[in-house]
Amino acid sequence: MSEPRHPQAFVLETPEREEEPQRKPRAITGITFEPEVDEGEMIVMPPAVSRPARFRWGALLMSALFVLVTMWAGLSISKLVEDFFARSPILGWTALGVAAVAALAAIVIILREVWALARLRRIEHIQVDAAHAINTDDTAAAKRAVDNLKALYASRPDAQLGLREMKQYEADILDGRNRVRLAERHLVDWRDGEAHRIIAHAARRITLLTTVAPTAALDILFVAAQNLRMMRELATLYGGRPSTLSTLRLARMVLSHLALTGGIALSDNLIQHVVGRGLLGKLSARFGEGTANGILTARVGLAARDVCRPIPQETSAKDTLGSLMKELVSAAPQEKEA
Amino acid sequence: MPCGPNRTTYCPTKGVPKIVSFSDIVDGTRIAAGGLSDFATGLVNPSVRLGVTGLSRAGKTVFITALVNALLKGGRFPAFEALSGGRITRCYLEPQPDDTLPRFAFESHTKALSGEARHWPESTSRISQLRITAEYTPMGLIARNLGSGKLHIDIVDYPGEWLLDLPLMRMSYAEWSAATVAASRVAPRLEHAGEWHALLSTLEPQKPADEQDAITAAEVFTAYLSRCRKDDVSLSTLPPGRFLMPGDFKGSPLLAFAPLDIAPYTDLPKGSLAALMERRYQAYVSTIVKPFFYGHFARLDRQIVLVDALTALNAGASAVKDLQHALADILSCFRQGQNSILSNLFGRRIDKVLFAATKADLLHHTSHDRLENILKLIVAQAMERAEYSGATIDVAALAAIRATREASVRQKGETLECIVGTPLAGETVGGTAFDGTTEAAIFPGDLPRDAQKALDGSLEGSLKFVRFRPPLPKDGTWPAIRLDRTMEFLLGDRFQ
Repeated sequence: MSEPRHPQAFVLETPEREEEPQRKPRAITGITFEPEVDEGEMIVMPPAVSRPARFRWGALLMSALFVLVTMWAGLSISKLVEDFFARSPILGWTALGVAAVAALAAIVIILREVWALARLRRIEHIQVDAAHAINTDDTAAAKRAVDNLKALYASRPDAQLGLREMKQYEADILDGRNRVRLAERHLVDWRDGEAHRIIAHAARRITLLTTVAPTAALDILFVAAQNLRMMRELATLYGGRPSTLSTLRLARMVLSHLALTGGIALSDNLIQHVVGRGLLGKLSARFGEGTANGILTARVGLAARDVCRPIPQETSAKDTLGSLMKELVSAAPQEKEA
Repeated sequence: MPCGPNRTTYCPTKGVPKIVSFSDIVDGTRIAAGGLSDFATGLVNPSVRLGVTGLSRAGKTVFITALVNALLKGGRFPAFEALSGGRITRCYLEPQPDDTLPRFAFESHTKALSGEARHWPESTSRISQLRITAEYTPMGLIARNLGSGKLHIDIVDYPGEWLLDLPLMRMSYAEWSAATVAASRVAPRLEHAGEWHALLSTLEPQKPADEQDAITAAEVFTAYLSRCRKDDVSLSTLPPGRFLMPGDFKGSPLLAFAPLDIAPYTDLPKGSLAALMERRYQAYVSTIVKPFFYGHFARLDRQIVLVDALTALNAGASAVKDLQHALADILSCFRQGQNSILSNLFGRRIDKVLFAATKADLLHHTSHDRLENILKLIVAQAMERAEYSGATIDVAALAAIRATREASVRQKGETLECIVGTPLAGETVGGTAFDGTTEAAIFPGDLPRDAQKALDGSLEGSLKFVRFRPPLPKDGTWPAIRLDRTMEFLLGDRFQ
């Protein structure tokens, strides 16, 4: 047995509490505070502002490749023309003329694309200003939005009556919200009925085409082509000037809009969606698919309308998917009830 | 605003704890009975009772005239969608529905405002009423197929002074006396109260009542009130209103009383001068103020509060503050809030209130936002209360009849936003006096960006708003500023 152990005490050294620095109250003066930005009431949703331009490697790659291809085309054309000159001057001159015509056409097409894109951007600017004017009753933003809207529609024959009506209110003292509403009433409102017709028409056509299409691959082509066509029609209606690039850009905007708002739209229409597909799907598989495609088109159409409409709409007045779906399954187009 | 000891104006909420008295029950029954009869008639003839509230010279008569004229004659009112969209098919004046009330003299006011000798209407001296009926195409599918809609709009015009009486309904004589005397002992009232104070010191409240004393006191007190109302002082809290605008009660014993120098809760011995005054005061409240209130204000559907902020700004910060107090006390008498099934049956509440700064045409439109901010400050208490009760509120700078055009003048390298019109004879701006025929461009000074400055006195003398000659009507209607927005807010939803 080991030695008996004596009682011992170990004093634990309490670590010294770190003194919390007692900070004295003080006032800091001489600062200017940024005024709080008043977002106003959320009467309409302002459109999602496009991302600030940042450096994109993809775009750089595309641009570089595009330049290379253009250079290659230029080189081969000039070589071709030289070859023709070597063979006979007449052939050479003819080839040069044709090449010049082709170049001219290419330039015109590029200019048109650029212009169409600018127009689309202009609609976006109007949307931002109009939403701001409606939400905060801002007079300056309203004036900007209305002036731009008038310029957008200045050359359109279908807007002349509205523009003339608008002219008489130019000198009046109107608040921002009222001025935007006035422009909306005279220039935009009636287009909504037309937009409704375009969307319903496209949705019905797609339902039918999908139902009778022989193969699934054709379906996809049909749906894509018809959707693009519908978007172009809607853009034209609200003041865009669709071309290839701007249609693609529009499609991208519509998709991102769908992604943003789709969730909300889904929740209140999900039941109808399922019922429609389920019941009709039981009756006929093809027709069920057709309706599903039609509903999809209608949803894309509504999103496209939101993207194209220069003045954002109040949610309460929005055309719902429900009313479009009713038309989709009914035989004859109904008169739209205001 | 708290009822602190420093507050010198009336504070109706302070005082004896509220007990439900017999008169409260009677008043409540009055509202319920009126509401029930309104509901019954409303089933057959939908009507909206528009309460045009405003102190004297706020522009009630001009507003009503312009509003009725706009409905009758149409005109350019883009923001009023029922009218500009063509859904209102016909408007006409109904024969006076109430046989005991005079009709609003729409025709003579219109005549006064047009022609070569046009002038603003004289100040209103008695109550009058008008019913205008609008036929319209309803928006709803069912209503549209049932036939055209019809809406009666009832409007009452009255002297703005009478509104000042409404807070008296909740004060006893002694409370009112103490508050009035205390208020008269501080600037800016003090310098106008000399004569009355001299008389007040000779009156002994406990002495046996003497009719002559009461009459003299009332006369001197009335003179003090009217001095406080002059343009250069422009005070607003000056009850009792019938002293300034007696209407049919001129010379009546009901008006033969005045405040005495007594504490708020003193006992008044029987047969004393104070007891006589108290009896008269009670009679004044119960036979003049209450019937006026319950007959016309307790059953309103919509309310527009017209505030002449510019005249108060002309007179200075004390006038603006006084206006603020007067409006807070008056507006707390109205029943505001959302309507329910029960309130539809037993007395509707005011569910929409528009606060309007009138005479906005005396300013360039770039200053209208600032004017609206000052108005918001003046009616802050009333606005808060209305909003809390659930009523929809809005604020607008309004000119029911626009007497000016706008122009900008370049002077010494700076651009002044001016208004152009014919100032009334006797008006002066910066040393220029007007004869009533010359047209001039006026720059009234910059309204402050910070509305608080209107109350703290830093604006004294830096603003001058002059009155202009009424404009000539064009195609039967007068130009206006935001009258359309006002109509849309107050009536728009009733034309659905």
